[in-house]
Amino acid sequence: MSAFAADELVAETVDRLLLDLCSPDVVEHAEAEGWVPDLWHAFSESGFPWVSLPDTAGGSGGTLGDAAAILHAIGRYAAPVPVAETGMLAGWLLAGAGLAIPGGPATVAVGLSLEGARLVGDATVAWAARSERIVALVQDGATWKVASVPASAVSITRGANLAGEPRDLVRFEVASGAFDLAAAADGVDADALLQRGALSRVVMSAGALRAMTQITVDYTNERKQFGKTIAGFQAVQQFLVNTAQCSVRVNMAAERATRALAAGEPGITIAAAKVLTDAAVAEGTRAAHQAHGAMGVTREYPLHQLSRRLWAWRHEYGTASMWRRRLGTAAHRAGAEGLFQLVTG
Amino acid sequence: MIEFEYSELTPSERALQAEVREFLDRVLPPGSYHPALGFQAEKDPEFSRKLGAQGYLGMSLPKQYGGHERSAVDRFVVTEELLRRGAPVGHHWVADRQSGPVIAKFGTEAQKQRFIPGIAAGELSFCIGMSEPDSGSDLASVATKATRDGDGWVLEGRKIWTTFAHLNDWAIVLCRSTPVAELTDKRQGMSQFIVDLTSPGLTATPIPFIDGTSDFCEVELDHVFVPDELVLGSIGQGWAQNTSELAYERGGPDRWLSSYTLLAELLRLHEQQPLPDRIADVLGEALANYWVLHSLSLSVARSIDSGGAPAVESSLVKEMGTRFEQDVVTAVNAVVDEAPNMADTSTFSRLLISATLTNPSFTIRGGTNEVLRSVAAKGLQPSGGKR
Repeated sequence: MSAFAADELVAETVDRLLLDLCSPDVVEHAEAEGWVPDLWHAFSESGFPWVSLPDTAGGSGGTLGDAAAILHAIGRYAAPVPVAETGMLAGWLLAGAGLAIPGGPATVAVGLSLEGARLVGDATVAWAARSERIVALVQDGATWKVASVPASAVSITRGANLAGEPRDLVRFEVASGAFDLAAAADGVDADALLQRGALSRVVMSAGALRAMTQITVDYTNERKQFGKTIAGFQAVQQFLVNTAQCSVRVNMAAERATRALAAGEPGITIAAAKVLTDAAVAEGTRAAHQAHGAMGVTREYPLHQLSRRLWAWRHEYGTASMWRRRLGTAAHRAGAEGLFQLVTG
Repeated sequence: MIEFEYSELTPSERALQAEVREFLDRVLPPGSYHPALGFQAEKDPEFSRKLGAQGYLGMSLPKQYGGHERSAVDRFVVTEELLRRGAPVGHHWVADRQSGPVIAKFGTEAQKQRFIPGIAAGELSFCIGMSEPDSGSDLASVATKATRDGDGWVLEGRKIWTTFAHLNDWAIVLCRSTPVAELTDKRQGMSQFIVDLTSPGLTATPIPFIDGTSDFCEVELDHVFVPDELVLGSIGQGWAQNTSELAYERGGPDRWLSSYTLLAELLRLHEQQPLPDRIADVLGEALANYWVLHSLSLSVARSIDSGGAPAVESSLVKEMGTRFEQDVVTAVNAVVDEAPNMADTSTFSRLLISATLTNPSFTIRGGTNEVLRSVAAKGLQPSGGKR
């Protein structure tokens, strides 16, 4: 479970819901479709996708920490639901712009532009085919605007990431009048969206790494070789400790970055967290898979549901090399004497 | 399961941080000293006395003996500021970090009155007397013998890797006081003694270190008499006491800041010019790790203040923190075009040479990483299916 300064009840309820509805079998069967109707329905009923969006804008209320606790649980259970997209990303853009938040899933598209009054461009969009609205942040002269497009107005080619989560290829050639357009809220620009998106991936990865540590510990405490459980071997313990360290680093980073963004001062926190996540995914999945032996690379055992998601999410919302470069630039700006202030915040 | 509860500095801890920064800017301005690699720092008794006078030593120790009864987090704040500047903490380091706390915890009233005031003042220096030539990670195998003799004990044996033994005042020495043959468990029958390093029969001989320094010593104990009043805690309880002493050695900022000054100096070299991408990448990767290790280490200190015993968590932090310290040295070397030259006495070059030569010790001192992983693995237990 995660802390994230979340409402304990939200964290407990979402955990129970996923325990009931999102077993490894469900995740496995969802992959062909990229969708579990019961799961979305249950999330939707409880209002989870819209947590952190104000009630007045059609959201469920609650804090960003509450939303992060939900995303963390989605990471732990490898749950195929577009909650980050619907609430923290698309919903946030819509609410800020005063546009309607749809009752069904929504998602975001990055890299589109306005050509006159038309919305154009190609984008890979998470869960596009399952969404009611696709929301984009576009530049209109010197201002940022939010475009809300009905999914029926675009052409969608199905695609999927390494984990079988829908990542559809979408062509936008949308005439004015076929989509809504409104000025984005103050401070909302492409970078703010990128940071939020990156944070959503960090938090889900924190959940997945936490679960990966746990199932690796569980497995190595059951599996016997040479007459004893393999968790008793120092060589295996090394992998358990490595996996746990990766989880611990990313979980701490996710929580610190979430709080910083909630306080309106993300600073370097999301960049740092994304860089740490990338390294932890490489080190953690390698250690967890090694500890599992051949069982870990079968589709019959759920480790792959976590590792494939971790490998997929690291490409989204900025690669580690981009964020690392940014951090280096921030260090340079701070100078040798100011560097430690970035560390302590 | 292992838990690191998120924590932030409170306003009063922030105020302490600002106060320490202001104090160190004043007494230790950049350029006035040779920055060290973390706690591998030179002895500067005058600087230690200044810290003591300011109330920055013996912070967790009882007030009645000159300590300050401040929290582990307060000490964390002070330690971070000292280490990230590479301050000369060598004189008081061991006394402040572990000898003072174990004496406060296990010592007699007379021992507390005798030692804690000097430790808190930055005057008394201590050594760690654990390792022996044939006893490293397997500490229960220590062979230094303590034999009852009148109203005291006689110590016979050898201790090793004893930093500053030739210069310091005291050492807390772990000995075998009951022969293993008389015991069912070799962790029994051990005792700790507070040993005067000027005792007759005690010889401290420096062992040349890989970088040419000679702060590291071997200590020979040839019939060294220790009076009863310098037995630490209870005879026979040495293993448990020693284990609790080790907890002070792990999880703190000294386990991830050792190469910080090297990185900061690399940045300083590029301050007034455009930053090459490859340097930005090294700085960025390191910054991300310092940023999270700060939070993890703070979480450990906070847990201690709430009465927790984060032995597993501190081992986990020390294990990854020390590996990271080495990674920084590797990464910096990878972007230095000119081979380090021993004749170059610039701060950066001096730190690079010292860090390159000594960084293998980072993952050995205070418990090898292999031992730490065994400790940490104990905290990783099956969940019963929960995620």
